[in-house]
Amino acid sequence: MATRSDLALTPRAASALRESWDDLVRLFANVGFGVSLLAVWATLTLIGVIIDQGKDAATYAAAYGPPGARLIERLDLGNIYHSAAYVGVLGLILCSMTAATFTRVIPRRIPRLGPVKIDAIPLHASVRVAGTPEEVRARVAEFFAARGWQIRKREFGGEEWTFADKNNWARRGVLVAHVGFVIIAAGTTLYWAKGYSGQFAVLSGQTATIPQTGATIALQRFSYRIDPIQTKAGVVYQPIDYVSDARVTGKDGVARDAVIRVNHPYDVDGTLVYQSTYGFAIDLRLTKDGRPVPGAPDQPLKEGEGFPIDGTSRSVQYTRFVGTIDRTTGGAGSDPRPNDPGVVLTAYDGDHSIGSVLVPLGRPLDLGAGYVLTPARYILYSGFQYGYDPGIPIVGLGAFVLLAGLCISLYFLPARLFVTVRAVEGGTEVGLAATTVKGYDVFEDRFRDIVDALRRTAPQPAAEGA
Amino acid sequence: MDPTRQWLDQTLLEIGIASYVVAALALLAYSLFRLRVLRTVGMPLAILGCAAQFGELGARWWMTGVWPLTNLYGSLSLFSAFAVLVFLIFAFKYDLALIGGPVLAIAAIALGYATTWNEGYMPAVPALQSYWIKIHVPIVIGAYASFMVAFCVSLIYLLKSAVESHYRNRSLRGVAAAPGGERIDVRLAAYSSAQPAGMLRADTPAIDDAAAHGDGFAVWIAGLPSLARLDVMQYRIIAIGLPLLSLGIITGAMWANEAWGHYWQWDPKETAALLSWIVYAAFMHLHTRPGWRGTRTAWVSVLGFASIVFCYLGVNIWISGLHSYKM
Repeated sequence: MATRSDLALTPRAASALRESWDDLVRLFANVGFGVSLLAVWATLTLIGVIIDQGKDAATYAAAYGPPGARLIERLDLGNIYHSAAYVGVLGLILCSMTAATFTRVIPRRIPRLGPVKIDAIPLHASVRVAGTPEEVRARVAEFFAARGWQIRKREFGGEEWTFADKNNWARRGVLVAHVGFVIIAAGTTLYWAKGYSGQFAVLSGQTATIPQTGATIALQRFSYRIDPIQTKAGVVYQPIDYVSDARVTGKDGVARDAVIRVNHPYDVDGTLVYQSTYGFAIDLRLTKDGRPVPGAPDQPLKEGEGFPIDGTSRSVQYTRFVGTIDRTTGGAGSDPRPNDPGVVLTAYDGDHSIGSVLVPLGRPLDLGAGYVLTPARYILYSGFQYGYDPGIPIVGLGAFVLLAGLCISLYFLPARLFVTVRAVEGGTEVGLAATTVKGYDVFEDRFRDIVDALRRTAPQPAAEGA
Repeated sequence: MDPTRQWLDQTLLEIGIASYVVAALALLAYSLFRLRVLRTVGMPLAILGCAAQFGELGARWWMTGVWPLTNLYGSLSLFSAFAVLVFLIFAFKYDLALIGGPVLAIAAIALGYATTWNEGYMPAVPALQSYWIKIHVPIVIGAYASFMVAFCVSLIYLLKSAVESHYRNRSLRGVAAAPGGERIDVRLAAYSSAQPAGMLRADTPAIDDAAAHGDGFAVWIAGLPSLARLDVMQYRIIAIGLPLLSLGIITGAMWANEAWGHYWQWDPKETAALLSWIVYAAFMHLHTRPGWRGTRTAWVSVLGFASIVFCYLGVNIWISGLHSYKM
């Protein structure tokens, strides 16, 4: 059995391990590395925007050709936001933020007070004033305090330094923003762990069940409003409203009336149900030699659904509902409302489309070999989405913290003035230098104003330098 | 539609476009010739155009009762109005009227392009019938407008920086070709002569040197704000845009959660906005590094605005998704 001493590393190995760890932390804390990760994140996101996500291989082959489709499939680019690469980059960014926060942000943005070489700081100046160093020190402290600067005095090597800070608290802005990002990541993870979502469509008069909770939604009536609007380009049929009247039964077994419309979700036991879409299901009747054919659809089909014709290699898909057939052209009219409805049916032989046809509702379509297909009637259906996300409050909190961090770090400039006072021939000299967390350029004008004001208020100005 | 109101809408739109075009020309000429009268003409016209545009959007709302930002025409119109507003704030606060030419020119183009999407008065589709549209859209458009102004500042930065490199290289070539064969570091010489003790150095010594020798182009470019000032300005403008974009993404997520059942759907528009956010977050991180501040961050700002154009127009027009409200 191995003892603790057997498992202990030799000092050399421990030192090598520590060095490697320190190198790794330095790498992750490096701003360049962090920005490189952001660039990779941006690139992957851009790929996700350009390549339609969640499509099948045939769609990609049609859009990008077979080699492109193979590349998309192999690199998982069609599901990029849930790919290992995407999640991995986000993980690396979180690691980089953590390393940067502890090794750079905290030590550099919240530095300890200490003496500096004033002349080595680009924003520096010296002002000669009358009075003893003690008097001048007191006056300088008063000068800055009166202008809202936080004054602290320290002695280093027998020399007294005055430190004047403005917005010192705002040095934590970046830290706050990073914490917000981490909170958002935690909230998102909570959804992955405990949340769920889905979608379903219900025909008028039918009932659907949310599988995760067992809640049922019986669609009593679906209604919509589409208005013809006269525009400069002609009449446009604009959807104005669509709404589902349903009876929803939750865990308590009590059925309640619910009106579900866009932007107004219905809450059933913590799961929100959203009105998302609607459509026209079609009752298709297939006969052969005048008799019903086995295998023909016994439920109305929704757009995109189809059925095989028994005993053949062919199938029929209900492709699209046409509200109004233009009787002059025989094609689809622009009015989507079902004034003179029809359906576009597409026939397939295996996977290959062999043609589409627009069939008015109620008119039989001869498929050949004795088969006749009749789109008998339409039934409105309502499409719902549902979701439960326990991470939302946490994501919301994270977003607020991130935004607060951004505002703190962008709108409040933490600046520190290093002030030293010493006796020189013929008076006292005040040396001062300024640093900020955003470089020197951003503070140049204000520093000049401070120096000018100091010169003006000094009792016996003998300014030179600067 | 009440013809008087329709006339008001059309008149304000025409005043807006005409003001922007003339202001853009005047301010471009001002940046070229530095004649104060051109600035005196351009700035009030910019204010007039901006006021007319806000007035026109308000008039549309008053006329139809429909929030005017439900289509690309309305949002592009607000974009140009906000861009001019951001420019005016910076121009008056930081004396940046010299960047007005490109800002007004882009605003005029955006407004002109917007009119091609103006189909008249249309009620909003159900997804847009939410109070969130009054919060989310102006915030996001404000962010886009800020980034456009920052982009113009970055372009001027890059121009001045490139010209500085050009003059510096020309000076170095001149030294190398000197008959004595002596090699002098022109940059250091210029810095040491131009640098006042204790304050920040002059950041375009080669341009200043050429200007001092009577080079007309150098005199013109030296009159633009210093590189340091332009860098600070692009940072300050992006510092307005980034929190707005963040807030826009957050309010968009809250609206999406209410309308579509999830705060994040990986819709192309959402992800394109995220892409822009990442680019500007990278800008902010790089800006903390002295070695990256300046030309490199200016290029990131240009890249950022390209991502904004893609997010704003590219995704709306060319990529279908939940945000494809082209009309």
